[in-house]
Amino acid sequence: MICSDAFITTADAMAEVRGAPGYRYLTTPHPVAGLSAEQVRERAEGIAAEVAAMLTARKAA
Amino acid sequence: MGGEPDPDLAREAIEYCYEQGWTDGLPVVPVSQPLLDRFLAHTARDPAEVLWRMDHLGRECTVRTAAINAAMAGCLPEYFPLVLAAWDAVMRDRAAKGGGWQSTSGPAPLIVINGPIRGELEINCTGGIFAAGFRPNATIPRALGLMLRNAFGVAPHVFDQTTQGIPGRWAICFGENEEESPWEPLATEMGLAPGASAVSCTLTRTYEFVDNRHTQDPEQLLNDFADTLGRTGSLIFRGQSAGVVFCPEHAQMLANAGYSKSDVKDWFIEHVGRTEADLRRAGKDAVSEGGPGARSASESERAPADAFTPYFTGRKDVPIIVAGARNAAISMVFRVFGEWSNSSVPIETVRSPVAATKGA
Repeated sequence: MICSDAFITTADAMAEVRGAPGYRYLTTPHPVAGLSAEQVRERAEGIAAEVAAMLTARKAA
Repeated sequence: MGGEPDPDLAREAIEYCYEQGWTDGLPVVPVSQPLLDRFLAHTARDPAEVLWRMDHLGRECTVRTAAINAAMAGCLPEYFPLVLAAWDAVMRDRAAKGGGWQSTSGPAPLIVINGPIRGELEINCTGGIFAAGFRPNATIPRALGLMLRNAFGVAPHVFDQTTQGIPGRWAICFGENEEESPWEPLATEMGLAPGASAVSCTLTRTYEFVDNRHTQDPEQLLNDFADTLGRTGSLIFRGQSAGVVFCPEHAQMLANAGYSKSDVKDWFIEHVGRTEADLRRAGKDAVSEGGPGARSASESERAPADAFTPYFTGRKDVPIIVAGARNAAISMVFRVFGEWSNSSVPIETVRSPVAATKGA
């Protein structure tokens, strides 16, 4: 899961009520809504390595 | 029990409620079991009945929990059927079911009451409907806010993600001024029997007045409303739903000119919107395919500058209510957060409250 950094408190609280306190997710700077397609692509490129690392870490676990 | 109540004891109990995190910032009424029983005696519904469940939060609100929060909000026990009906009414709203309560928009429930219950509970329908000063008007919407906070844990900064919210978010509740309205009551329009006590409720986003004591021409008056109804600032999707709480004077002027409520709605459907140039200037001229059609700034001109985009798709998008005093021609435009259910909920009446034993 990738969450914009304005929603960290809510995301953490959500993880807790769903019985997964400390659930790991990635963040991207807020805001996202107004980004152009190209800017979204840049964000994706910037975070791709972290996404891969998180997915493979979970797989190995 | 005689004598004056002890203010220090009362304050102690109020502070206890603050410490538990049960308040919305203002003091709440501490609730004893006998007080709770009096609330529950005003409904035939089982205290254990689940009013609503938010599956994603794993939380629910029962009739009993609603009663506790209504009592804390300062309601009288006899308001309780109205609180339950208001909750049922707003939860018919698709947006309320779909996470609207947690939206960054911070939408406010608009609660409108029809029928004889307005007189029985002394609900304000005339001067100052959006202002403070009347117990049912102030405490019934507050009860919904406390239910959200205390039953579902939807409180600011965590599950309530409101960016700024709406002034008076938990304080918008009034009776329709049926006595001075030239048109049928809202609940009758929604299909309930004339004279029924009922509540209608939807989530709303903004309120803006239209002060027009300047013309006797109904078209000029309607154009003044259309300008306010057609704001681009509140436009997020392809179209939007917005309504008017007409003061009696504006409503009567339109009715005297031959406009029924439906005629006014139809006029707004035709005239409320913006030109392509206006939308482009605001960076909202492009509409995405599918869904509600999210707006954004387009990269090139899509339509002629004078092409007109109407906001409303039908009468369901333009709720009309009549309320307020007859002392000036000042009305209120409001915007619906999502889509109003276009329905009213009858209010249960328990004429002789049963012995206060339930839920003990």
